[in-house]
Amino acid sequence: MGILDSVTKVFTSNTRTQSAIRPSKDDVLKALSVVIDPDLQRDIVSLGFVKSVEIQDGSVSCTVELTTPACPVKELLRTQCIEAISALDGVSSVQVQMTARAPQSVTQNGKPVEPALARVANIIAIASGKGGVGKSTTTVNLAYALAKAGAKVGIVDADVYGPSLLQMTKVDMPTAMNGDLVIPPVRDGVKIISSAMFTHGAKAAALRGPMVSQLIRQFLTKVDWGELDYLLIDYPPGTGDVQITLSQMVPITGAVIITTPQEVSLIDVRRAVSMFDTVKIPVIGVVENMSYFVCNGCSEKHELFPGSGGKRLSGEIGMPLLATFPMDPRIARKSDEGEPFSLGAEKSVAHEEYTNLAANVAREVSMLNHQGSKHLESFKIIWRKS
Amino acid sequence: MLRIQNISQSNDRILNVVWSDGKIQSIDVVALRRACPCASCVDEWTKEKTLDPQSISEDTRPIEIESVGRYAMKASFTDGHKTGIYTFDLLRKMN
Repeated sequence: MGILDSVTKVFTSNTRTQSAIRPSKDDVLKALSVVIDPDLQRDIVSLGFVKSVEIQDGSVSCTVELTTPACPVKELLRTQCIEAISALDGVSSVQVQMTARAPQSVTQNGKPVEPALARVANIIAIASGKGGVGKSTTTVNLAYALAKAGAKVGIVDADVYGPSLLQMTKVDMPTAMNGDLVIPPVRDGVKIISSAMFTHGAKAAALRGPMVSQLIRQFLTKVDWGELDYLLIDYPPGTGDVQITLSQMVPITGAVIITTPQEVSLIDVRRAVSMFDTVKIPVIGVVENMSYFVCNGCSEKHELFPGSGGKRLSGEIGMPLLATFPMDPRIARKSDEGEPFSLGAEKSVAHEEYTNLAANVAREVSMLNHQGSKHLESFKIIWRKS
Repeated sequence: MLRIQNISQSNDRILNVVWSDGKIQSIDVVALRRACPCASCVDEWTKEKTLDPQSISEDTRPIEIESVGRYAMKASFTDGHKTGIYTFDLLRKMN
């Protein structure tokens, strides 16, 4: 599905009234003000989403500009717009075009960031409290699911001690420069930079902290990222010095935390959440990997960790559960073959879940970008005794 | 997603919450303590309440109430209990 779609609806039954009444632009805007963005909880007119309204005789066409091309409620909003305009007197046809705003740069304390990131709208950290929970797999598949939804996406593999993105995507090495910026190689529309492109095999494992920070800084600021809706950073696992430095280096919109359902992972999730709290990066939500297994013999879900259940997890840490993935050997096989799983066309639970994950991330990020006076980010009340 | 627009102590026993959709909710803090969803008050697997409401005295009060992440809050109480994390969804369903 592209960014620009349009639907025309023609009402032949309305032709009789065509000569009589013509709707004005104000009528159309008034009609559209009943269309509420379910996530931002405001109408699309006051949100400034309605960009143009053209009326020619009885045919009305308008453009609605959303904050992200990956907006999960795009189709819902389009349908509601068409219905709202169609209900006006004298309308014979309606055309609603859904577009997305060009990426606006993230800013740090109100100042624009490094030129390399000047046209990057959202930087998202993909982190985990510990290794081996499927962080890189999730990063790659989330990137391709977002790209499929129409977004421009880039990935930085900042897991310098165990970079796996090259293996998972089989992307080429960068070969060209734009001035002093490296042009990132592209695989199926996603721009990818991995630490493995600049270090040599085993050497990476022996890097000291300050060198790692410097290396990661270069991935972010010495790469010609161009226009991106989402730049995903595959964090090194853990909550140490490198992770904290990385979080302060560029303005990160939010963090997605990857975990597995058992109790020890929960402890690590809490640790990761508290690290992001410390550096004032909002946690977008949690992804639970390896939640259950569906065997070939029966279609029943076998939970690998009894009582797992993401609801408990997300409730306990006050974060939305963005997606829950089964153990699916096909994901691992595709990763090993360098074929991102979510890029494939086959139908499976995991596949649908990657689509849901992309939709939830897009939704939560646009909510993060749109908040302000509407609600409290954090609060603390000390009870007064009577 | 519902968020909290404002939260404050109304009187000795009532916590006031203004939600992002405009709804104003008054929560009895003793009822809040009795609704604690933590693992020692609710059976983790069956979700059955194991806390006897009678065991919570009417003069129990919060000491501190604080946000957790973006979708929950935690509270410590004068009876020494402080493990409950209340999601906004749970809070909204109270009363």
